[in-house]
Amino acid sequence: MFEFLGDYTVRIVVLSSAVIGATSGALGCFAYLRRQSLVGDVISHSSLLGIVGFFWLWFIFTGDGNKSLWLLIPGAMAASIAAMMLTQWITKTTKIKSDASLGVMLAIFFGSGLTLLRWIQRSSNPIPGQAGLENYLFGMAAATTLPDLWMIGILSVVSLICLVTCWSRLKLLTFDPGYAAGLGLSSNFWELLLLSLLVIGIVIGLQIAGVVLMVALLIAPASAARQWTNSLGKMIFLAALIGAVCAGSGALLSAAQKGMPTGPVIVLFLFLGVLVSILFAPKRGVLLRRRSIVT
Amino acid sequence: MSLEFWTLAIAVVTAVSCSLCGSLLVVNRQAMISEGLNHALLPGLAFAFWIWRDYNSPWLLFAAASSGLVMVWLSEAFQRTKLLDADASLGIAFAGMFSLGVLFVSNFLKQTHFHQDCIVEGNLAIASLDRLKISGWDLGPKSWIVMLLILAFQLLFIIVCYKELKVALFDPELASRFGLRPKIFHLFWLSIVSLTTVAAFNVAGSILIVALTIAPPAAAYLVTTRLHTLLFVSALIGAASAFVGFYASLSLDVAPTSPIASSSGIIFLLILFFAPTNGFIMTQWGHWRRNRDTLECLVLQWIQDGLQERSNILPKISGSCIKWEYILNQLKRKALITQADGHYVLTSAGRMKLTAKLSEFSCVE
Repeated sequence: MFEFLGDYTVRIVVLSSAVIGATSGALGCFAYLRRQSLVGDVISHSSLLGIVGFFWLWFIFTGDGNKSLWLLIPGAMAASIAAMMLTQWITKTTKIKSDASLGVMLAIFFGSGLTLLRWIQRSSNPIPGQAGLENYLFGMAAATTLPDLWMIGILSVVSLICLVTCWSRLKLLTFDPGYAAGLGLSSNFWELLLLSLLVIGIVIGLQIAGVVLMVALLIAPASAARQWTNSLGKMIFLAALIGAVCAGSGALLSAAQKGMPTGPVIVLFLFLGVLVSILFAPKRGVLLRRRSIVT
Repeated sequence: MSLEFWTLAIAVVTAVSCSLCGSLLVVNRQAMISEGLNHALLPGLAFAFWIWRDYNSPWLLFAAASSGLVMVWLSEAFQRTKLLDADASLGIAFAGMFSLGVLFVSNFLKQTHFHQDCIVEGNLAIASLDRLKISGWDLGPKSWIVMLLILAFQLLFIIVCYKELKVALFDPELASRFGLRPKIFHLFWLSIVSLTTVAAFNVAGSILIVALTIAPPAAAYLVTTRLHTLLFVSALIGAASAFVGFYASLSLDVAPTSPIASSSGIIFLLILFFAPTNGFIMTQWGHWRRNRDTLECLVLQWIQDGLQERSNILPKISGSCIKWEYILNQLKRKALITQADGHYVLTSAGRMKLTAKLSEFSCVE
């Protein structure tokens, strides 16, 4: 029953899922603490346009379909950052509130991405190599290859380095943006850095979770970890751990069992993790917290 | 009537009823709840379909709508623990329920048309084939009739409870003083939204529902501030996006759902840029014109006072966009100044304009 564990592909898939889970979980802490959870949802949906668009552009210029993450991840990042900047611009210049402008981004970017995807896949004269592109909707960890793992690993290391070197500034921006602005941290640059970290945390996970469910991979580890500790460092470490364990075991289960798409399995594991944390975390958990005046 | 006509008819009715729902969500800052709702109804829908095996069973509507309400309850329960904020609890609740639904579909409903793509995109293209026939009379596609009934129900609710709805939405405190129970009202409205989402889900899929619930009301919100105009305009924009998207899908040879969604977003962008009074271009033009008028007035004053050497600091005041030479040319063209032996002097028209402007400014003071 466990002979699939020795399988080369399965090892790569589980390893990359764990790396993705750890990175997304760690970076998701910032989104969670800044109360931007639904921003993550919109970023992940918007990235579909970038993925399909870059695939299509590559086909136009080279006449060949290419589904390597080295091409698709930059595309996803470009589209997500464009969507976020447009959202911020709309919220700043018009009376539209952030939730509605996020929803409009879903319509524009996800709608156009899906249209382009279906057009690429249209029955008459489809573009060669497009099969498997629709896996980005719900995720397909089994399609991960060794070069993909390298790309994922490099992005994780880069974001980890960013996290460590800019630690104090990121912390300040997360908890007290007003004070950060008062200190003269040129906020545009740091906002962009935080946004890019968030986008990295999302786009590397698209392969396993898909654009529809990626928000859970980003937010759930952070929400679970938050209940166990009050320190940002410990929270990020814990979120990475929870993300890695859930994503790795989800990928394993999905590889072992038929009819188990990776994304939903991982998300259900994470959902259970959040539930357990909310109920049983010491001090904060619903069942164990001391009744206090300040709730 | 042709198949295309009926597909378009279904799309338009769906668009109008989604936009009406969305108008009230957008003004109430709850737009993203529709994203949560339409993902969360999947487990209920799939489970009911697995049991009854019939698309047209009313149980399907009921089960899916209650599954959506379970999601709302779950995310509010998360919030009530005060351990998670509103965004995170909505995100986790709907993602969890949606994955449950996807797992259920991929394990138990493999052989039906209930596969993953339909969850996102729906079956608009084939919805017009499923007709309702009563004793030989062809009344049109079933989903069209269902959507029409729901639209009628919505309209009835909005018209009958318009005043109460308005108070409950914009001033819950006042509403509760009136004894209106805004919470109950809100829950009732959410169940209507949930029901609409469910009915539209089969034809529209999750992407189109989100798009049509949020983009047309947001676009209408740009051009109006009155609730009834907002409702009307957003229904109009919804119908327009259905038209545009449908014909785009015909020429692109793809399923109509996602083109309709993206055209609603694109219409929003067009309105954002080109709206007659509040649009981006008109506002920018207005800013620029006011800026230019002020600078013209300033330059007139300088010329009158013989302070032409100050022309050097004008670029610093105006930023880089309006140049000294441009202002001078404008003033000359309007015959407000003339050039006499190397110096500029004000004409009588210029002097009058300056006095008029100055009195305007002193009024403001």
